[in-house]
Amino acid sequence: MSMGASPGDRWRDKLRKARRVAGEILYGMTVFDWVRDLRRQRAEVERLFVLITFGDMVGLPILPPYYTLRLLPYTVPVLNRWKRSLLRERDLTDLAELIEGVG
Amino acid sequence: MFTILVLILAAAGVAIGYGLYARTIDKNIVQPDPKKATPAKMYMDGVDFTPASKNVLFGYQFKSIAALGPITGPIIAVQWGWLPAIVWVILGTFFIGWVQDYGAMIMGVRRDGDTMGALSYKLISPRARNILMLFLYFYLLLIMGAFGNAVGKVLMTNPQVPFGMLTVVLMGVLAGQMTYRWKQDIILTTIITVVISFVGIWVSTQPFMSNIFSAIFGLPDSPVWFLGNTQAQVIGTLLVVIFCYLGSVLPIWSYAQPINYVSFWIVSLGVLGGILGMLIWRPGIGDFPAFTSFTTASGPLWPMLFVTIACGAISGWHSLVSTSGTARQLEKETDALPVGGGAMFLEMVFAVVAFLTATVAWGSFQGYQDAGGAGKALAVFAGGLANFLSRLGIPTSFGTAYGSVFLTIMALTIMQLCVRFMRVASAELLGDSVPVMKNVHVGTTVALLLTLLFVWVIPWLTIWAAFGAANQLMAGLALMLISLWLMSEGRKNAWALYPSIFMIVTTIAALLYLAYTSFLVKLPAATTAQASIANILIGLIALTLVVAAGFLIADGWRALRRPRVKEAAEKA
Repeated sequence: MSMGASPGDRWRDKLRKARRVAGEILYGMTVFDWVRDLRRQRAEVERLFVLITFGDMVGLPILPPYYTLRLLPYTVPVLNRWKRSLLRERDLTDLAELIEGVG
Repeated sequence: MFTILVLILAAAGVAIGYGLYARTIDKNIVQPDPKKATPAKMYMDGVDFTPASKNVLFGYQFKSIAALGPITGPIIAVQWGWLPAIVWVILGTFFIGWVQDYGAMIMGVRRDGDTMGALSYKLISPRARNILMLFLYFYLLLIMGAFGNAVGKVLMTNPQVPFGMLTVVLMGVLAGQMTYRWKQDIILTTIITVVISFVGIWVSTQPFMSNIFSAIFGLPDSPVWFLGNTQAQVIGTLLVVIFCYLGSVLPIWSYAQPINYVSFWIVSLGVLGGILGMLIWRPGIGDFPAFTSFTTASGPLWPMLFVTIACGAISGWHSLVSTSGTARQLEKETDALPVGGGAMFLEMVFAVVAFLTATVAWGSFQGYQDAGGAGKALAVFAGGLANFLSRLGIPTSFGTAYGSVFLTIMALTIMQLCVRFMRVASAELLGDSVPVMKNVHVGTTVALLLTLLFVWVIPWLTIWAAFGAANQLMAGLALMLISLWLMSEGRKNAWALYPSIFMIVTTIAALLYLAYTSFLVKLPAATTAQASIANILIGLIALTLVVAAGFLIADGWRALRRPRVKEAAEKA
């Protein structure tokens, strides 16, 4: 917002911001965790796929390197994320976020 | 006038508590740095560690922490009079509740996104983590018992409720179908499923439908079937069990999530309508006493009031949600206060609204008692909500059924996820020694059989008190962890340590009181096998939790002294 904006513009700007904030809060309350669950499902399949193709990175040589190298260009974007996710230490309390609304 | 006064008091609590106290602690002691990389950025994996806007996380955190707990606690607690209940809700949040939620969240952020299990392992001792697991399992069992009791034995036995509940569940399944298979727009899906849910609730209030369920339940004089439970109660609890079974074994995205989504709208529209009706009506307190007596059916005011109102003032579960879910998604450290602290203060307002449905909505203590009192807290809420909604022109019969369905669905959505967690926990903990526990159906069945035992045998008020005590003890331990972390960082920790001491002392006193009454008062007087089993179960759980807490406190004390001993050794 420029310095010379009229009061009307400032109000419109504030209203726009309030609407955005309300929309984001509503999104957080409604579909955010649903979307996260879907992302989690996708990540699980993705993890398995990369494990099969690039298992040798973590000591599990499943696929011959010839095929691995042919797939490399398609897998590069997810490799870093996959390694981080696979090697992360997990705890049972990680699952607590699944249970919503206990209070 | 009373309603407005209470709401002003709550607003003042938020303004001073959040605006002054919490901000001062945040700014001067914790000193979050907006430029520091959070775990969400450092370990971004697109799922658990992903930065999200603070507004989105605020909504997510609030939805994750606020449900039946803040509704039920204040309604039971007004049996001591309205004054102790409202004072604990506001002061509990002011001095303790937000401290735990915010403290756990910022601790998770600063400790690489570790959750409570890992934090207790690293900050206290390896044994502390195992004890936390024990707490968790008992806690979940008690949640299942408490919510299962309230829903299966009270709400579901009302013939005007089951059809409405089934409609909402089916609409949840339809929402999933519309989203995944038919690729429909979420707004259209929402409108269709929510409207049909309301039609279902209306149909459930019609005489022909309630007559069908009355016949199934054997009403009006439902015969006693099993362990002192009537035909209606047995069928009601079995319906709950079937729902939870499906929630535990089916993929979460296809069953639990769409149902949660539809029920969110059913619940939030009810809460908004109730608040609107309350503001239009603005009822007074009538002859509802400020204080009834020090000892009630739930026990003495101290310590029992402080465990009866758990969520709404402070809840141990919040620390688990804050560390496992939200802390890993914070974009900036400075977002921890508005998300963690802000959501807790909003939950306090939610608890205040529940408090008003138990008090001003009835206008007298007698009215509250006639509606069911502490023994039927959820029925009191459903009736109170109906009284508020009637100010918007909604018939009381529909309002009561709507309130009951929304409470039922609220409880069921939590319970299905608890069973899921218990199934995973038992597979993790026992899977190696008892391989059959790794089977999804076996793990679920074991969890549900234990639930049925708790629901059918233990009385409502006793199980709620045990649940509250386990919850608050976990809160005290979470605060102890936060104090230890602050100490390890060389920061002032009195703002977390004193609440921790208060919570631990109070909850241990409550557990000892429960064990004492179970073993030495109620058990000798028990005339049925059901009462004897109930008292033995509750007494044993209370004592186990006390002993486990004793080990944790001893380890915690040693951990607290560790920096001082190290310092002394360095000086020498």
